[in-house]
Amino acid sequence: MQFQRKFVNWSLVRKILSMVIFILFWTILVQFIDYFHQIPTPKAVFLAIFELPVPVVLKNIGISFFRVLGGFFVGVLIGFPVGVAIGYSRILNHLIFPSFEMARPIPPIAWIPLTVLFFINFESQAIFLTFYGAFFPIVYNTMGGISEVDICLPRAAMSFGVGKKLMLWKVILPAAMPQVFTGMKLAMGVAWILVVAAEMMSNKGGMGYYVWYNHAVMDYPHVVLAMGIIGLCGAICSVGIGVVGNYFTRWQRLV
Amino acid sequence: MANAEQEALELVFKQPTFASRVFSQKTILNTISVVSVFVAWTLLVHFQVYRFSLLPSPVEVLEWGREWVTTKIFWIDAGMTTARVLVGVTAAYVIGIPLGLMIGWKKVFSDLTFPMLEILRPIPAPAYLPIAILLLPWQEASVAFIPFIDALFPVLLNTIIGVKLIDRDYFRAAQCLGSSPRQIFWHVVLPGALPSISSGCAIGMGIGWMGAVVGEMITGKWGLGYRIWESYILIRYPLIIDGMIAIGILGFASSMLIRYLTIRLIPWRRAITESLDESITK
Repeated sequence: MQFQRKFVNWSLVRKILSMVIFILFWTILVQFIDYFHQIPTPKAVFLAIFELPVPVVLKNIGISFFRVLGGFFVGVLIGFPVGVAIGYSRILNHLIFPSFEMARPIPPIAWIPLTVLFFINFESQAIFLTFYGAFFPIVYNTMGGISEVDICLPRAAMSFGVGKKLMLWKVILPAAMPQVFTGMKLAMGVAWILVVAAEMMSNKGGMGYYVWYNHAVMDYPHVVLAMGIIGLCGAICSVGIGVVGNYFTRWQRLV
Repeated sequence: MANAEQEALELVFKQPTFASRVFSQKTILNTISVVSVFVAWTLLVHFQVYRFSLLPSPVEVLEWGREWVTTKIFWIDAGMTTARVLVGVTAAYVIGIPLGLMIGWKKVFSDLTFPMLEILRPIPAPAYLPIAILLLPWQEASVAFIPFIDALFPVLLNTIIGVKLIDRDYFRAAQCLGSSPRQIFWHVVLPGALPSISSGCAIGMGIGWMGAVVGEMITGKWGLGYRIWESYILIRYPLIIDGMIAIGILGFASSMLIRYLTIRLIPWRRAITESLDESITK
């Protein structure tokens, strides 16, 4: 079985085929079923690429990226230490965790009116929102990662006479890292949702505003294109976190 | 010696008394935690620190909330939002679970459908709103599209992971005993994936609430999400917080309900071992 060389990678062929089917399906749906006639065809979306106002779009992408990354990094800077503290110390856990649990069921989106009330300019509102959305996934996953560290690892380290500080830095934190980065990926997804929603509700620029603006002027090919661009931005951020995460969890490849 | 033995025995077999349970370190610290949030909130508002002067105090929130609950508008709003979430999330279950089972089970099917879904996945749900408005001419219905999109991917991915995590030996055993593909599907794939599907459904329900609130805030004339935005515009600030609390309670209750219902389906495995968040991003 192993020696049979496959000349055609059928899996890859099928994957490419699925894209073709998807585009065909989309075209047929729009062209032949009356109900969907308002949705732009793939061709219209493709042609819209050439009419894209590149400087405007780039500026909006930059604005959205600034808001997402700003809130995300504040979320990591505050959320990670808090998660470590809650995961590592039982007293701090009992002291902090219940108040977080109270806030958790409220979707971060519902905080928009309060943030608008509290922060004066839109940038700080958007950054607070993305921070808030990113904060909980990071805290919960850091905490979970630390509490799920295999108990044998700290025991082994202890039997080698490792102190508390070294234990945290060299044993607990590296072992918790995979889940911390899972949390960060989730946080990034939430941050993008929040930014798009917040930008749609105001007229302060960003890709969410760009989508909503094109919806208002009924330019639907550009709406679909802008959706694709937002998706691409989100995917790039997610891949970026994956690359950084691979560096921090490089011990996994040695095991 | 005997004394020490007795002490050790007492230590091991000592039942925690009622008082020791109530006044344990954990409950005391938890109470401090919750109380301190409200105390800090009251003090910040009372002494008008920075822009906290604009926020309502907990007492105001309570008073407004008590009045709000008795009005008809509250029940219509709550009902609207709940209905949207339920419609959207149920549609996500109906489409996501069978699709996920097939993608996880059949490689060919996975190759043909999964790349397309992977392209759609990173697009945040609010961005679908213009398309939803186009597709569903009634604006109040188009909001239900957002919870659907939001809930679809966690449900789908958890189902796929659930199928992939089934021990291969079960498939081999079933095949050895001459099961047909249909029997394998009903007796191996579906029950094997149920724990993971259950957690996916609960996550989907939670995220669905977020989607409904977004949709209502951006476009909508009814619903809790719209109401909190309107309260901001009409300067009824305490209602914003009341609305947030109502959303939180309803969202939490519906997630708990899903968890309770699905756990009854999997009596053989009460603990859902899969880390929920891990399975979303993989």
